[in-house]
Amino acid sequence: MPVKKQTSRKLSLLLIAVYLVIGCSLGKTHCAEAWTQWRGPQRNGIADGPSPPLTWSATENVAWKTALPGSGISSPIIWKDQIFVTAAEREHPNQLHLICLSRQDGSVHWHRRFWGTAPTRFHSTKSSMASPTPVTDGQFVYAYYGTGDVFCVDLQGRLKWQRSLATEYGRFENRFSATSSPVLLNDLLILQCDHYGPSYAIALEKRTGRNRWKTARPKTWLSWSSPRLVPTQDGHELVLCSSLKIDGLNPSTGKLLWTIDGMRRECIPTPVFGHGLIYAVSGPKGPTLAIRPGGRGNVTESHVKWENQRGAPYVPSAILVGDYYYLVDDQGISTCLNAHSGKRVWQKRLTGAFTASPIATNQFIYFTNEDGLTIVLAAHQDRYLERARNRIEESVYASSAIDGGQLLIRSSQHLWCISR
Amino acid sequence: MICIISNQVKLSASGIGFIMAIRYSIVTIFLLCLIFTGPARSQETDKVQKALQTIDLAGSEGRGSEAASQAAEQLLVHGIEILPQLFEHMDTDNIVAANWCRYVYQQIVTRELAKPQPRIPTKFLRTYVLESKHRGRARRLAWSLLDHVDPEFRKQQLPRLLDDREFRSEAVQRVLQRGDEAQQAGQAAAAVGHYRLAFQHARESSQILKAADQLSRLNINVDIIEQMGFLNRWYLLGPFNAPQFSGFKQAFPPESKVDLLASYPGQDGVIGWQPYQNSDRLGQTNLVQAIGPVKEAVGYAYAEVHSPSDQKAELRCGADDNMTVWINEKQVFSRGQWLNGTRLDRFSAPCQLTEGTNRILIKICQGPQHKNPAVPNNWSFQIRFCDATGLNVGLRTLKPTSAETDAVKTQKKE
Repeated sequence: MPVKKQTSRKLSLLLIAVYLVIGCSLGKTHCAEAWTQWRGPQRNGIADGPSPPLTWSATENVAWKTALPGSGISSPIIWKDQIFVTAAEREHPNQLHLICLSRQDGSVHWHRRFWGTAPTRFHSTKSSMASPTPVTDGQFVYAYYGTGDVFCVDLQGRLKWQRSLATEYGRFENRFSATSSPVLLNDLLILQCDHYGPSYAIALEKRTGRNRWKTARPKTWLSWSSPRLVPTQDGHELVLCSSLKIDGLNPSTGKLLWTIDGMRRECIPTPVFGHGLIYAVSGPKGPTLAIRPGGRGNVTESHVKWENQRGAPYVPSAILVGDYYYLVDDQGISTCLNAHSGKRVWQKRLTGAFTASPIATNQFIYFTNEDGLTIVLAAHQDRYLERARNRIEESVYASSAIDGGQLLIRSSQHLWCISR
Repeated sequence: MICIISNQVKLSASGIGFIMAIRYSIVTIFLLCLIFTGPARSQETDKVQKALQTIDLAGSEGRGSEAASQAAEQLLVHGIEILPQLFEHMDTDNIVAANWCRYVYQQIVTRELAKPQPRIPTKFLRTYVLESKHRGRARRLAWSLLDHVDPEFRKQQLPRLLDDREFRSEAVQRVLQRGDEAQQAGQAAAAVGHYRLAFQHARESSQILKAADQLSRLNINVDIIEQMGFLNRWYLLGPFNAPQFSGFKQAFPPESKVDLLASYPGQDGVIGWQPYQNSDRLGQTNLVQAIGPVKEAVGYAYAEVHSPSDQKAELRCGADDNMTVWINEKQVFSRGQWLNGTRLDRFSAPCQLTEGTNRILIKICQGPQHKNPAVPNNWSFQIRFCDATGLNVGLRTLKPTSAETDAVKTQKKE
């Protein structure tokens, strides 16, 4: 008996230990903030958890790859064991897709198809009506398309509400399709709708899709940038980059708080936030501005901490990792600036052209070019330190996502899961 | 024996009675079923109809979403038998309601197709696809389902849809392919026939250009300008001086009166109307070539066209930087955008043309040089009049009655 008791105690302790190990590892995966939106948990392009494998190819370290319908440069988003991605058909751009895949093996859990209201006439071959990245709060997925439509489904794919903004407020006039990715704040889904026609920002109630506020942006011209929330002492400010200016709004009311001039036309990148500063990239060949939030009125003279005129991209957003701020322009010139001073640390020509925005972990920064080549740099270095070059042999225009050591790359044909 | 027989008869008689009794029972049960299930079925039909009517009410600003969501879940308990009703309610301008129906449709059809022997209503779908009264998106959805169960239908029907408002493009594409195949097989006459047919029915510029190019290679010229309804013979006036972006709002003399013999103070001396014909195959007039490489200026283009009848038409246009269009002194289009490039059919507006002569006046602004000196300062416009499909509405450019000169410069082909 005593022997049996001891054995069973040992077994119990072993089981508890196993449960704890599994629980902790699961907890680590699930508790770390997931890649639930455009540019990840903090909308800065940085994943909290472990890094994916340093090297991969079209066959090495590929956990799975799944063919995607149509086209799209929206990023995949992740919630626990589910991945959500949008697509639109190239030949018939009003045909929209919202797909849920298994994170385990890339199999399709469900696939919803919708009609888009008003495809824009002129978009480049890189873009499509599925350029905005969806967002999830872990209960619902909110998918917004360049056709001017918003859909809310639950995690099982049940449609909860939908809006046709193009029907209600006019079709988007936008030659590359709308690309602005929505952002969530408390019970609101916030969208930036800047185009040639009447631009506006709008906050929809997450539960019902009804308007909480809608702010006309009459002096705003076309932009493709995504809204960014910035924490302040009073809560948050909503930062909207657009042609010629940056606006700060109260996200609860949509009221304009401050404006900064000095941007170029046609802004695409999404600003990042860190060290108490908003880092905003202007349009093509424009400046990078580091801005202090919290202003009132036109604060161009008082709230721009530094400005750098060199290295700004047209399409890819920049990334802030620690004390360094990295940019890659569309032609592949990468620039590292000191995040505090704006002074250039290094500049280096990478390979090929870039549309996707760089992403990072605490260890590495990943720059993926249009040919599917990812150049991995060591983070937190005061020099260019390349660690790997990995190619998947398919063109890539979408920005990738990282979560729990998995790297999700959306190519023109597949969603790839790079994992050990 | 008799007894035996009579017994058999008796037995037979009782057997017949038994069978009759069963028959009566079956009939009775059937009638009872009809009595009780008829209303039940009717109730189900009513429920479906009610749910679809709820969906019809979903609309702007999230209105009716919650009710529509519940209605959709109710409809999902039904099977493929409600497909015709779903198509009926998808056939609406209310895209929100249409998408709710499509959401239900997709799941019901997916379930049905997963069955060993799906019961897809092909007859209904064939009829629906060919009825052009339905909205194109719903017809296309029906056709995609038919492709699963009756792939031959597309092959058979596509050649007949060259004038169909939804499937014209695919039908024309098929004809272009047949032209290519004939050409590759060395059958030039057949290829010409296919390309001519494609040119005649095509409305998309890429298909029109492809058909025209292929015909040109076979030594046959077709008139793209005529087919698409471009105006390419103009009287041009400019540049008027308009500092920065002031030109769009500033009215110059032609907006009060077009006098082709008048002269005006321009940006760099006296300016007057000059006849001009562009030779661009899609009717684009390059004002940098026609007037000059100016900045911060305004130019005007004027033409008189003959319409065979009083008719409504679609004005399709584009310009760099921006443009305003008047027809018979009435403004029909105005867009104050800058640096946006001239693109085919970028804008459209409904307009009314009168039988006989119509006066067309266009104002095109030119902004400051882009901050990057390497960015070229385009200044151009493109305009056409067509029906809803994109076909010329029969306009003919006239020599303006007040024109003194008919000297026509021809723009050098770029």
